[in-house]
Amino acid sequence: MPSKSNRILTMSHAIAEGIANEMRTDSSVFVMGEDIAAYGGIFGATTGLLAEFGEQRIRDTPISETAFIGAGVGAAMAGMRPIVELMFVDFFGVCMDAIYNLAAKNIYFSGGNCKVPLVIMTATGGGYSDAGQHSQTLHATFAHMPGLKVAVPSNAYDAKGLMISAIRDDSPVLYMFHKGLQGLAWMASPEKAATEVPDDAYAIPLGEAKVVRPGKDATIVTLSMMVHRSMEAAEQLAKDGIDVEVVDLRTLVPLDRATVFKSVAKTGRLIVVDEDYSSFGVTAEIITSVVERDPSVLKAKPRRLAFPDIPIPYSRPMEQFALPNAEKITEAVRETVKKGH
Amino acid sequence: MPEGLWDTSKTPEGIVGNWFYRDGSMVEAGAKVAELMVEKTVFDITAPAAGELHILVPKDGIVRPGTLIGRIDGA
Repeated sequence: MPSKSNRILTMSHAIAEGIANEMRTDSSVFVMGEDIAAYGGIFGATTGLLAEFGEQRIRDTPISETAFIGAGVGAAMAGMRPIVELMFVDFFGVCMDAIYNLAAKNIYFSGGNCKVPLVIMTATGGGYSDAGQHSQTLHATFAHMPGLKVAVPSNAYDAKGLMISAIRDDSPVLYMFHKGLQGLAWMASPEKAATEVPDDAYAIPLGEAKVVRPGKDATIVTLSMMVHRSMEAAEQLAKDGIDVEVVDLRTLVPLDRATVFKSVAKTGRLIVVDEDYSSFGVTAEIITSVVERDPSVLKAKPRRLAFPDIPIPYSRPMEQFALPNAEKITEAVRETVKKGH
Repeated sequence: MPEGLWDTSKTPEGIVGNWFYRDGSMVEAGAKVAELMVEKTVFDITAPAAGELHILVPKDGIVRPGTLIGRIDGA
């Protein structure tokens, strides 16, 4: 177990510290990306690393995701453990060939003879009026591709432990952090996203969901920012005597279907909340995980709450109208509990 | 907060971006206890002594050079 600490870190500092812990003990770990060195990453995920490790290992790149993510795949196959930052997940279009035709497939295409220990770190999420090309989460786009692992932390403690596991993993890992959880001074962040974080290195295994609130009446399965919105809803519902269990998936690939099923088997009611687009997404996959195994555990029809199938609006009132929030989650749980039998 | 940390003729004020310890926590000398944000530049504030931290300017509170943002009572 890591040593106890009373120090509170934001998620951005926790990610940077996880990277630093691994860089101190493994000389093959290095970081590349746009504005990740001198600036420390526009969402703070590489803060302080240049000063400690220097420009050979913390490398600012030109604005060409095609080049530096491709270079990351090659470096990983040549024995390094690169971390590359795709500044906004929305920019994946220009480097998707490197991600899904190279990184995700080369272990398989080499008959397991090549490893691809690459971490692609990327910022997700909206809610701050940054419009349709800077606000998506795209969880399902990447979780859908065989060969990629996908980590999606909701708080600082998990962010550090998942980053360390991602670096140590011999497969490519897409590490998706929500901008609004980073604890940046210029962007509002839920208070509980910053947590106590031990100084030492510790790993949280990829593929283990966490019950962040136990309850007996209904299960909310969620991830990333929506963990915080769901916890707000759960607190509101508790005042009316509705006891909600909240499951934080933490990773999408591997997906911890067992923890989801166990929770729904206990409560009999399932609401899935995701900031990604609704159709063909995480919400459908989670519901399927339950009904495919045993639909008889459900006392009410399962529900999903996600972003409507539209590009994310720039206008603040329009974006806020479309985003899932605590009020909508509260309503969905009430409907599910009421109509159960 | 030190005088001359940033050019106040251009940017008179900053904010407390984050506290890294809760009010009343024990901190060690030299520990990074807070960060200040001035436009998009971050300045680390380290504990000048060991002891119990008392926060005087909360997160998002406005600061100028010379502002007392917290007090550490020696253990």
